[in-house]
Amino acid sequence: LVAVSCFQEKGRNYQYFPNMYKSASYETYLEYDGDLFENGQEAKLPVEGTVSRGWMPYEYEDSNEGYQNAKANLSNPLPYTEDNVNEGKALYTIYCAICHGDKGDGKGTLAQREKILGIPAYNDAGRAITEGSIYHVMFYGLNNMGSYAVQTNEFERWQIAHYVLDLKRNLNGEPQ
Amino acid sequence: MSSHYEAPIREPLVTGNKSYHDVTVDVAAPVEGKANKSWWLVFSIALVAFLWGLGCIIYTVSTGIGSWGLNKTIGWAWDITNFVWWVGIGHAGTLISAVLLLFRQKWRMAVNRSAEAMTIFAVVQAGLFPIIHMGRPWLAYWVLPIPNQFGSLWVNFNSPLLWDVFAISTYLSVSLVFWWTGLLPDFAMIRDRATKPFQKKIYGILSFGWSGRAKDWQRFEEVSLVLAGLATPLVLSVHTIVSFDFATSLVPGWHSTIFPPYFVAGAIFSGFAMVQTLLITMRKVINLENYITILHIEYMNKVIVLTGGIVSVAYITEYFIGWYSGISYENYTYLSFGAATGPYAWAFWALITCNFIVPLTLWIKKLRRNIVWTFFVALVINIGMWFERFDIIVICLSKGRTPSSWAMFSPTFIDIGTFVGTIGFFFVLFLLYARTFPVIAQAEVKTILKSSGDKYKKLREEHVSDDHIGEVEEFPASGGPAANTEAHEGEDDLNSEDKNNKNN
Repeated sequence: LVAVSCFQEKGRNYQYFPNMYKSASYETYLEYDGDLFENGQEAKLPVEGTVSRGWMPYEYEDSNEGYQNAKANLSNPLPYTEDNVNEGKALYTIYCAICHGDKGDGKGTLAQREKILGIPAYNDAGRAITEGSIYHVMFYGLNNMGSYAVQTNEFERWQIAHYVLDLKRNLNGEPQ
Repeated sequence: MSSHYEAPIREPLVTGNKSYHDVTVDVAAPVEGKANKSWWLVFSIALVAFLWGLGCIIYTVSTGIGSWGLNKTIGWAWDITNFVWWVGIGHAGTLISAVLLLFRQKWRMAVNRSAEAMTIFAVVQAGLFPIIHMGRPWLAYWVLPIPNQFGSLWVNFNSPLLWDVFAISTYLSVSLVFWWTGLLPDFAMIRDRATKPFQKKIYGILSFGWSGRAKDWQRFEEVSLVLAGLATPLVLSVHTIVSFDFATSLVPGWHSTIFPPYFVAGAIFSGFAMVQTLLITMRKVINLENYITILHIEYMNKVIVLTGGIVSVAYITEYFIGWYSGISYENYTYLSFGAATGPYAWAFWALITCNFIVPLTLWIKKLRRNIVWTFFVALVINIGMWFERFDIIVICLSKGRTPSSWAMFSPTFIDIGTFVGTIGFFFVLFLLYARTFPVIAQAEVKTILKSSGDKYKKLREEHVSDDHIGEVEEFPASGGPAANTEAHEGEDDLNSEDKNNKNN
């Protein structure tokens, strides 16, 4: 009973010869305690205007004109297949359903608990969303909604757009 | 009733008219006396060497193995050379105390204690190298199959390096127990003679309350015999396992099936050479010439001639097979034409000279019984056997299968300092031992005093009629052992003295 562990609840435990515990290379999310990088972060922003391989910049502006433009001209490059819709459904359930609701009726968990109010349904006639506008809003956000360009990639956003149009048709009672 | 027959051809093993009491006094003298100046001088030198070696070891462990002369081709050199050398030296001790006990060699009794001490101290030195040559010695405990939190990650039992761990640790512990068991009656003797209370207390603890009753002695003998029976296969297997480090590899020159017996023979060869070196000095310094006689030295030289011969046959075999196999890679192994003429030719010829040519002189009886020459040959063998291991390890590694990775090895002062340090440590231990332990197993020597002591041999000669000896000589086989035990009561002073001693 005399032997009490020196392990502390707060703070790290003791280590025996931590030879390769601490990374010698830079790890993405680690804090950096040197003067080589500003902000003390090992993750740095890329230079403006650079294009990495396998990625293309989004051409529409983040403005009302850009929104109208995308709504009118931007179309979904992905074919409407079962796989794409299913993937879109999974992604929608992760990122969107918390506010917009599983059915896209604007009655997600947060809306029901009144954490966030004023979420429109997808069949809102005044909005008349198209696949182009869905994509544009996911990319930049609109009013209270923030951008989801960081959480999803281009491919995934188009999959979600397929599913969102499905939901809109369901709400309108139209056939798939 | 005892009557004694010993072949008259046998020379006495104890000279100088010694009685039981004389043996006690002679053995206890270095323990009870004070160290003289030369002891302190030698001890200081050994201690300095040891501390220097310790510094080298600490430097190696804290800085890295790169402080040694190893390179990517030759990853083993002085470290394992010294390891095998020290393990080999340790083998003579067990051979003397165990194998010679099984063969009832009475001459072992005067040398076994020191030989075993040498074993233990040499194995301690050897045991250092597997640890310090590790890149991360603080994780050495991973070699033990201990249940752990890595999903109970265990060791692979296929590696001879792991067998080494078991072999060496078992060897050390069994040798230590065997040695200590034998020491009990002798510690008790010193305890009983001690006048200073501190000394009495210490030897009282060391002797485990030995009182020398008949039952104790009976069991003592049984334990000794059982331990000797266990230590004999052990001594053969330990160096066999050490040889597996090389023999189980695919390196040309290492991959050889004669290594196990050849290494064991080499171990006994080098071990006896070290025993000679130490005992020739010791008998002189602490006046044990009457116990470690010229006869003992000659017997040990004979063992050296025998094992040196075995080793030489192995050299010739290796050389022959290297040629006979027709494998071109075998031309660069440690015993090949390539080695004899290559960049390590000096090491090759050092091996041949020290282990083959010089020991051949011991076939000559005059040189075999010459103490100075024996001492010299023993030193040369110690050097030669170091070269044998160096040659096997370094020459074979230096020219492997791909010429693009051929390399040479040269030690740094840390390699050398570590080796010097182990020699220093060995002598620190041995010198301390020589001053505090009974260096001769007096209890054992007393059992042969009356059969093999010169005093009693002379007495027998004077009192036993020649015709008795002649009679037995004439019919030794047909008469059987009974022919030797015919009583000659009344006329034999020796027998009555025997009786008196027993009654006391």
